[in-house]
Amino acid sequence: MKRFLFTLLVTCFLFSNCYATNKDRRKSFKSWDNYEITTEKVGQDGTKFVKVWGFGKSVDKAIMNAKKNAVHACIFRGLPGASTANPTPPLVKDPDCLEKNIDYFEKFFEAGGAYLGYINLTTDGVPAGQDRRKVKGGYKVALYIQVMYDNLKVKLENDGIIRKLNSGF
Amino acid sequence: MKRILSAVAACILAVSAFGQAKKPVIMVVPSDILCERIGCTVKYDNGGLQASYPDYEKAFKSSDELRTMISAVAEFMAQNGFPIQSLEQELKRLKNESVEMGLMTGKEEGGFIEETAIERLRRNAKADIILNLDYKVTKLGPRRQIEFNLQAVDAYTSKIISGNTGVSSAVSASTPITSILEESVLSFKDNFLSGLQRHFDDLFENGREITVTLMRYDTCPIDFETEYEINDYDVEFADIIEAWFADKCVQGRFTLDSKSANRMRFTQVRMPLYDVNPINGKEVAIDANGFVRSLVRMLKKEPYNLVVGVTPKGLGEVWITLGDK
Repeated sequence: MKRFLFTLLVTCFLFSNCYATNKDRRKSFKSWDNYEITTEKVGQDGTKFVKVWGFGKSVDKAIMNAKKNAVHACIFRGLPGASTANPTPPLVKDPDCLEKNIDYFEKFFEAGGAYLGYINLTTDGVPAGQDRRKVKGGYKVALYIQVMYDNLKVKLENDGIIRKLNSGF
Repeated sequence: MKRILSAVAACILAVSAFGQAKKPVIMVVPSDILCERIGCTVKYDNGGLQASYPDYEKAFKSSDELRTMISAVAEFMAQNGFPIQSLEQELKRLKNESVEMGLMTGKEEGGFIEETAIERLRRNAKADIILNLDYKVTKLGPRRQIEFNLQAVDAYTSKIISGNTGVSSAVSASTPITSILEESVLSFKDNFLSGLQRHFDDLFENGREITVTLMRYDTCPIDFETEYEINDYDVEFADIIEAWFADKCVQGRFTLDSKSANRMRFTQVRMPLYDVNPINGKEVAIDANGFVRSLVRMLKKEPYNLVVGVTPKGLGEVWITLGDK
């Protein structure tokens, strides 16, 4: 009986934990705005060259988050201008787009998801010096990333998330 | 089953016919100030005042930088499904057309192609959206930097749809100018395209913005102040036309810019992108000319019985003449 109760308790705990994790993940995904990004210079045609920060419990996780943040910024936030580069508007104009396509974007940004295909060049070695900071609860690292902006745009257009410039004509 | 299939086929046909609005013609035109700066203008005496107009042909022939800039703009516009019309080629075509038209004679009677002065004037390079191009090379000590400006202007409303400035990084004077020109274009293009997208989204949501001008020949038996009795009210002819616009515009949106006995000008007219073709009853994409068709039909019928002429001036502007064509 004791064994049964113990198994039941563990199952309930795991289930609730898993549910809570998913719920938290969704929640944190929706409030995914807490990162810093700057445009470094004008990229080659169809690309954006940015410096982006990511936060994670380990350096590896922070690097992965930085990559996600770079793509996230191109889609939802836009890239700020710099002295030698104009600002880039977000690909998605509709502020409710994330809500409307939450399943699509969760899949897109999942670990090893499609978003990685739009990051062409990074300083993928472990960042050092000023670009790697130990903060409470983990690490904050900065990466220099080349985002394949035009390819990302085409992907979102083909998937029906954003309109093509010539759609309707 | 057959009925369902035919219904589905009809829906698909309707959607495909309904889905395509008239595509605007886009052209890159060097700005007046740029032509002035690179010395490509024609000066003339305008009643004692020295005036000038841009000489585009000379500009295209003499400036490699201009060609590079236009190529860079043309490339990203084509990538986005809007191949731009080449002003340089259009000018050549018009020149050749004039020469050919002058040489053509009829096979049987030996007649010449007839063209009035106004027709000749209207046979010029036209675009619905003009991309006004300007750039300037600035010297910063031993280095050079390029400031670049591109404005998309609606040819009919003169509104700036999208306007952006791009700046290249300052590079040494030995760097080829074409590479810094390209950099400045790349710097601004996404912002610029975003502005165009905003304009097109607005166009699909609120209709195309056009201008309609009604003019009266002295042969017209009535003017815009002539009164008609409608539902026991005396109504001016101009009010009847205004009521037509209120009825046909998207959300009744238009501005009566000017009104007199001989002329009415409607601006910011929001016309729907589609209408029913009276000949075959199908939904078709229309332009300003198609939009005023029902107004023209109305004016030709009782009680007005007017001779009406329609002169389309592109997708977004039309002149209607009353009393003659």
